[in-house]
Formats: sequence, C-alpha cells, structure tokens
Amino acid sequence: MTELYPFTPSGPSRRSTLRAAGGGTLLLGLGLAGCRSAVSEASSEPQGASAAPKRGGVLNIAVNSDFTPALLFSQSGQSLQHRLIYNTLTRYDDRLSPKPELARSWTYAKDGRSITLRLRDDVTFHSGRRFTADDVIFAVKNLQNPVRAAQLRATAATVTGFEKRGDHELVLKLTHPVNNLFDLFEFMIIADSETVEDAVTGKKLIGTGPFRLTKWSPGSGLSLTRNDAYWQAGRPYLDGVELRVIPQADALISSLRSGQSQLSFNVPGKSLGVVKSDPHLTISDYDTGGGAVYLGVNTTVAPLNDRTVRQALAWAVDRDRLLAQTLGGYGLASAAPWPKSSPAFTEAHRTHYSHDPAKARELLKSAGHSKLELPLLHLALPGDTAIAESLQYDLKQVGVHVTLQPTDLATGQKKLISQDMPALWTMGHGFAQVQPSTLAVSAYPFNEAKNTSKYRSAAYTKVVREAWTKPESGTAEANAQHEKISSILLDEAFLIDLVVRGQVQVAADGLHGVTLNKFSYLNLDNAYLV
Amino acid sequence: MRSYLIRRLPSALLVLLAASFLIFTILRLVPGDPATTLAGPDADAATVAAIRDRLGLDAPLLSQYAHWIGSLLTGDLGPSYAIGGQTADLIGDGLGATTELTVAALLFVVLLGTAFGVLGATSRSRWIRTAVRVTTTTALAVPPFVSGVLLVLLFAVILGVLPPGGRVPFLTAPDLAVQYLVLPALCLALPSAAVLGRYLKDGIERGLAEDYIRTATAAGVAPRRLLWRHALPNALPPVVTLLGMQVGHLLGGAVLVEAIFAWPGLGQLAEQGLQRRDYPVVQDLLLLLVAVFVLVQLLTDLVYAWLDPRIRWE
Repeated sequence: MTELYPFTPSGPSRRSTLRAAGGGTLLLGLGLAGCRSAVSEASSEPQGASAAPKRGGVLNIAVNSDFTPALLFSQSGQSLQHRLIYNTLTRYDDRLSPKPELARSWTYAKDGRSITLRLRDDVTFHSGRRFTADDVIFAVKNLQNPVRAAQLRATAATVTGFEKRGDHELVLKLTHPVNNLFDLFEFMIIADSETVEDAVTGKKLIGTGPFRLTKWSPGSGLSLTRNDAYWQAGRPYLDGVELRVIPQADALISSLRSGQSQLSFNVPGKSLGVVKSDPHLTISDYDTGGGAVYLGVNTTVAPLNDRTVRQALAWAVDRDRLLAQTLGGYGLASAAPWPKSSPAFTEAHRTHYSHDPAKARELLKSAGHSKLELPLLHLALPGDTAIAESLQYDLKQVGVHVTLQPTDLATGQKKLISQDMPALWTMGHGFAQVQPSTLAVSAYPFNEAKNTSKYRSAAYTKVVREAWTKPESGTAEANAQHEKISSILLDEAFLIDLVVRGQVQVAADGLHGVTLNKFSYLNLDNAYLV
Repeated sequence: MRSYLIRRLPSALLVLLAASFLIFTILRLVPGDPATTLAGPDADAATVAAIRDRLGLDAPLLSQYAHWIGSLLTGDLGPSYAIGGQTADLIGDGLGATTELTVAALLFVVLLGTAFGVLGATSRSRWIRTAVRVTTTTALAVPPFVSGVLLVLLFAVILGVLPPGGRVPFLTAPDLAVQYLVLPALCLALPSAAVLGRYLKDGIERGLAEDYIRTATAAGVAPRRLLWRHALPNALPPVVTLLGMQVGHLLGGAVLVEAIFAWPGLGQLAEQGLQRRDYPVVQDLLLLLVAVFVLVQLLTDLVYAWLDPRIRWE
C-alpha cells in the first residue's frame, strides 16, 4: 500500500466506512419501508390473473405530447382523451358502417338533404345536466365556427337548418347532400355548451363520456376518474385513467418496459424492435390508417410543373425500404392514400407506382432532364429526418439531387397552409381513413380549391364535388367516383403517397378491450386490466 | 446605500425594458405564429384569420407590445395561446418543478462531491482511490442524456425500484416525490459532483502537505481530527465558490434532464412554448430569466458597495 504522505492522517477507516454505509442503508430502508412505492403506485392493477373483465385499476397511458385545449374540436397530434371524456353521435365499425352511440337511430331523407336523428334520453353530462337535441345543435354550430379549426368544418357548414321534435329528436337540414355526414358524427364530440369556453382553455372539460376530468397539469398530463353515471350500464371497468406526457422516446419506452405505463400509441417505428423483444408488451397495428406519409410537389416550380417529372419521382421511391427502415415495418407501402379499409382502396392503386429507377430515369430523359437539383423540406424530428434521408437517397439514384431543408413544426405548418413550400417537401396527412371525399374537402394538402402544391384542375374539382355530394356510399356510382379521384391523384402526382400508417398500439399484456375510432379517439368503455 | 440603490435602479429597469423589446421583436421575426400552429395543417385562410383575430395578432405590433407590458405591470399575465391554462400558473408550476430538481441535485452534488473528495484524498486503499478516480472521470465524461438513459434502464427497467420518469409535487406526497426525484437529480448532479470531488481532493491533499499539519501530527493530534477540523475546512472556500458556479450549470442542465425524465419544469415549458409559438409563455419566461440575472447583478453591486464604501461615490 502506498502512503500519500508520511504523516497522512487516516481517512475513513474500513470499519467507519462500513458503519456509515450500513447506517445509511438502514436509514434508507427504514424510510422507504414506511413509504409507498412509487413503482407499485404507478402500476395499480387489480389483483388476480383471470382474463375475464374485471372492475378496477387505473390505466396509465404514455403520450409524447400534451393535450392542447385550444384544439379540442379539431384533430390534433393528441386526441386520445376525446372519447374518454366525451361521446360522439355515432361510431364507425371497421367497414365504415355507422353504429349508434348518442344517436340511437337515424333516417336519411330520400333526396339526401336532411337527416332525422333520434337521440338517447338517458344521458347526462358530468355536471348532471341532461343531454338533449339542443346539445347536438350547439355541437354542429360550434364546429362551423372557424376559431375551432375543425377539419370537418366544410361538412358541418352544410347543415343550415335544425328542426327539433321534442328533446330527443332532431332533423338536420343540409344545403346539399353530402356523403360524409357520418364522418362528421364520428369526429364531432358532444361538449357541454355551458362550459365550452372553459373547455378550450383547459379549465373544465365536461362531456357525457365514461370518465370525468379530475385534473389537467399542463406539461404533465391528464387525470381522469370513472363516471359512475355513465349511460352504458356497468361501464367503464376502469376506476381511472392517467395520461402521462413523456416527450422523449427512450423515456417513453422505459415507462412501458418498467410497467409505469400500460399503453402508448407513440413508440417510434424504429424503436418497435426493442418493444417487440419484451414479453410483457404486445404490439397491435390498427391497419385502418390514421395517416400517411407523402412527398409533396410544388407544381409551380419548374421542372415539376411537368407531370412526367412528377411521375418520375413517384417511380424513383422505394416505398418498401422506407417502410422497413424508417417505420419499423408498421404500415402499408402504397402509392395511393387509402388504407385497406377504405372504400377507395384497390391493390392496383396501391401498387400503381413501384420502385423502378430505370423507368424514372427514362421518364426524366423524355422530359429533357438527366440531372436535377431540388430542395426538400422536412420537419426536424428524428422520424421525419429519416424519411427525408431515405427519399434523398432514392432520388439521387435517378439523378435528382436533393438538398434537405430541416424546419420546425410551426414554420413547416405555416409554409404548408400559406402555399409557401419549396419544390419538394415530406410530411404526413390524415383523413384518408374515412369517406374518400373527406380527404379532398377536409385535408388541406388534397383540397381541390386550394392546396399546398398549387395544383388546380377543373376535372379534379368536378370529380371531388360530385363524390362529396352523392349521399349513397358503397354503390357502383360511388365506387366509380372514388376510382376517378384515385386516378387523378395518381396520374397528376402533385402529392406522391409513400406509406399509409396505422396507429401502432403498444400495450401491457394484462390490458384488454382497447379500441380507437377513425380519428384516433381512445375508447376504453370495455377496457380492463388483469 | 439607499441613494446608491436609487441610482442603480434606472439602469436595471432600462436593461429590462431593452430586453423586453428584443424578446418581443425576435419572437415576431421567427417564422410561424401561434395562429397557424393552432389552425393545424388542414386549415383554410378563414380559420387562420379567425384565430389571429381572437388572439389579437391582427393588432399593430406596437399595440401588442404595449398590451404585453401592461399585462406585466398589472401582474395579470393572461392566458397562454397554445399550451392552455394561465401563463402565470404555467410559469409558476414550471419554476417550482425546476427549483425542486435543482435543489435536490445540489444536495447530491454536496454529498457525492464531499465523499469523492475525502475518499480520493485520504483513503489508504489504492483500490478505493482508483475507484474514486474512475468514477469521477466517468461521471465527467458521460453526458446526462447517456447517464440518464442508463440510470433508467438499471433502476427502473431492470431492478424496478424507482419510477423511470414523471413528477409528484413534494407537498402532495413527499414519500412518492422523493422517489420520483432520485434519478433525475442524480443524473443532473453527477458531472458537478465529479468536478467538486476533484477540487476537494486536491484541496485536502494540499492542506495535508502543510507544515502546520506536520507539526500537529508530531504533537499527537488524532489523524481524523486533523482531517475534519483542519484540512477539510481549509479546502472548502474555493470549493464553495465553485459550487456557486455549478448552480448555473445545474439550472442549464436541468433542461436536458427534464426531457429525459419527463419532468415538467421550465425547460419543457420553454421547449413547448417555442415549438407552438406561444408568445405569452415564451416572452414572460425569457423576461423572467433576464430579471433574475439583473437582480443578481444588482445585489452583487450592492454587496460590493457595502464592502467598499468608495464605490458609492464613483
């Protein structure tokens, strides 16, 4: 042993070190023994291993962003709580057939210009007030208000007349027939009219849903407790729900793996491999398509004003590689925006553009180009950057050299809706999972009247308007309209669809009965923990 | 002293005013605004216009600036544009959370730093001294975003003894709050504790080499007494100065650690506010930081003036 100094005083001796360590451990042990464990508090599941529905327990959900009260009436990045606190009039099944919720039944007028809704009479708001037809009238008018930023405002705006027949029957009169009225009913939450201004600031969220809001802590999350007066007898099974905001992906995954959270829809595609290896977690893919990744093209920038060049880009992209490498394989590589559950989906449209660099080069050559240099804007987030880099690689193989322009969300959004995008950009879009006409009237990138690509075509406008105003869906005529929309989207290639994304659910194996609606509102009416 | 303070106040207020103007202007120069962020990617012009009107973003910039300064003077900071809730509540909650984390981290810095310093300087075991050296080097070299993930993996995922993230306010449930605090505070404290430990080790070693220690040893003073009563106290002054400087590092580092451990402090609030262009939140938060620095500067000047009366007349 080397002495530091000949007169070095002894430091803590082995005995005193051990004594201190022992004392510390004892103190810590005594302290913790008298305390609750934060770990067991966080994973409060009802006891028992039976798989039968069981009452009790608090479900912890990990979300990567906080609820934005100002966006309560629009589809935002985080809409899980909508169907927990509120109800909608109807809900779609997997085949887009509407099922009763607050509306028991309905009758469409033959001319498609009105619909009679018969409402439940046994529903009360969390405040104790009875739900009536006036609440539906308020909900529709509320969505017509531009301040609410509701994507289905165009459809809500077609409702111009309300005829009450008692407290629980209502006729909605439309300016013209629309075939996506049930999209509106699936989307539109029924909020308490008396507290709506408090709702959009996050002070009070009063609905008729299975859970009541007990607390919203900005940046931390929402705490919900069981609504004992819920109109569905015996539901919900859970005593409460906690939505915890965990912005960082690794922390979110740790929360799931440690059992602190039992459910999340925000695990990045690239990280799903880590989750898959955990035997206590289950991955489910909602293939109804909550959104899609696309390559946007500014059709006013030369040479992208030439349709042949745009089609060349569509042939150049390897969608399967992009899906596997950047989204963990969860999704559907597709040249068209439609998920498999959409009435507009066909396999031919999905594979309309495959990965064919030779064909892309040939098309570019026929348009008089062998080398192009173009900017590509993308959001400066890990997932979006990976997609942009993948596109950059593919396009380079056909002689299109792309300069990446990373940007933040607010700037990207501003450029998107003010038609200020560079030649190329990549982002995500929604609204292909419901009636096909909704995509073209409610999703701005596809909007027939004004879109980011600055694409205008009388034929596109005509076909979209016709599809939107035909009340019948599922008919040969409706299918023919969908075919026309798809053909224009694919041929004109002003938006090049890449991958249709489903919602990927990661859940603890003891969690059952979780469902999402078409707008990613979480339904836990029948959910339980074992 | 009072007249000195009165003379210094105008310049402090001028700094605050200039800072408020700069903050306001720079935020407006950044592309994107709260209305387009709130409107979402599918909004039409009417939606954006209606939101702009509701938020008062249509008003002339000077009027918006005057409105903001008015809200500061009346103490009513108003609602947040995009995050939701009242701006004062958001900043108050975030400040509480960040302060809690920083204080806990400071406690870890003192405890671990002292342990590293004393063991490193005085342990007779070469193994312990090597272990301390390796530990402090590692703590310095590994950035918090790596150590944080490793700590979570070990204590939350593998051992399952501590929660991986989140926060329970200390006053609500102290027993749970402490458990939520341990990992983020430790992660934040490790680099500073290593720095402190190294300084303390050097200080103690230098102290132990002094003549008076040699004399005291010859006089038969107990080695433990030499360490705890003489060498350690003499090594402390520079370390205390260093500790003061580390507080700034801890506050800065808290922003990163908050993200790893989902700790809802000022760092997360600032990031959220900037991302959504929530003007009231970002403006008030930045001005609060400037005000804190101005106040510290003012206090420092006052202390100097108190220590050296000549300064008052300069």
